[in-house]
Amino acid sequence: MSHWTQEQLLECLADSFGAANVAALEDAERAYQVVLPESGDLEVTLVAGEDQIYCSTPLVTAENVRDRAAFNDACMRLNPINPLSNLGLSTIDGQDVYVVFGELSGDSTQAQIIHEIRMLAVNAIDAIETLQPYLVNE
Amino acid sequence: MSILSKILTLFRGTANEAGQAVVDKNAIRILDQELRDSTAELARSKDELTKVMAQRQLSANRGSALLAKRREYEGYVQGALGKGDEALAREVALKLSDVERDLQAEASSVQQMDASIASLKGAIRDTETQLARLKQQINTVKATEAVQRAQSAVSARHSGANSKIGTALDSLERIKQRQEEQGARFDAARQLEQETGEGDLQSRLASAGLVNDPSNVDGILERFRPQRAEVLEDQSPTPEQQKLLAAESLFGERK
Repeated sequence: MSHWTQEQLLECLADSFGAANVAALEDAERAYQVVLPESGDLEVTLVAGEDQIYCSTPLVTAENVRDRAAFNDACMRLNPINPLSNLGLSTIDGQDVYVVFGELSGDSTQAQIIHEIRMLAVNAIDAIETLQPYLVNE
Repeated sequence: MSILSKILTLFRGTANEAGQAVVDKNAIRILDQELRDSTAELARSKDELTKVMAQRQLSANRGSALLAKRREYEGYVQGALGKGDEALAREVALKLSDVERDLQAEASSVQQMDASIASLKGAIRDTETQLARLKQQINTVKATEAVQRAQSAVSARHSGANSKIGTALDSLERIKQRQEEQGARFDAARQLEQETGEGDLQSRLASAGLVNDPSNVDGILERFRPQRAEVLEDQSPTPEQQKLLAAESLFGERK
């Protein structure tokens, strides 16, 4: 069981990212949203589960991918060298969305949680920059 | 079929239709079912273990009693033989052989039950591990669903009815745009500095031919010529001379 209470986690996030960039999502239970201005306002979603904390950020919608097979292949190759984060495929609102995500033990420290979020953002920006050749040219 | 492959099949089957919510609900249902099955199996194994352990205890008790009886009969056989009562000794030896047969049967049944106990304990350990894993999988599926719900809520909040998911691609574009803007601002600032700053004054002086102003050169030469005091006293200093005097007093030279 995560030892973080809702208030503690919110305070920990606000402390590191600024209160203006952090919000608890009242639409979902124990879910938080962090905006990272230095990463182009990238939004990281945090969910405190029963014994783990989940962090996720959408990488790109599948409709923006030119060649899904080649993109998937590139993602699989990128995944093992991505520190702390994983690449995955999710369906959000009926839309296929590639996500970058990570899981932390529920009793991680503030420093570990903050590090995970920053790393997730850096990895997401890095990944999409690397994967750009597979995307639809606009 | 493993639990994960059941879930994956479910993903493939419904990916294009009803969407994630259905998949998650079903995935959780599959996992919950597995959880119930494993929990029931665990309860059965534990029940069985209790039963076997009780039987083993009874069997061991019987074994101890038989062992005591064997020692007793052995004594009788020795006593009868000592008294030379061959017939009595034979009669007791017959009973002793029954006791020894029962003893062997009891021992082998204890051994069998020990083996059962060991294998039941192993099964219980495995089931417990599987249960822990299942619970974790359920938590993960539930959390993933919560993340998706949250992300969907965020995208709805951002753009109302026309919900669009904000991705790292959008952020990358914003970063590039900001870098371009910053670059442009930097260029503008440099230009502004050139227009208003010292650099520009020098270049404007030069283009106006003032840096190498011939009259200024003449003025310098004049200062070094033998001075005609009477003339100087009458004259108020030129602006150029005033500036030089100010500079002299500032730097403390030539009082």
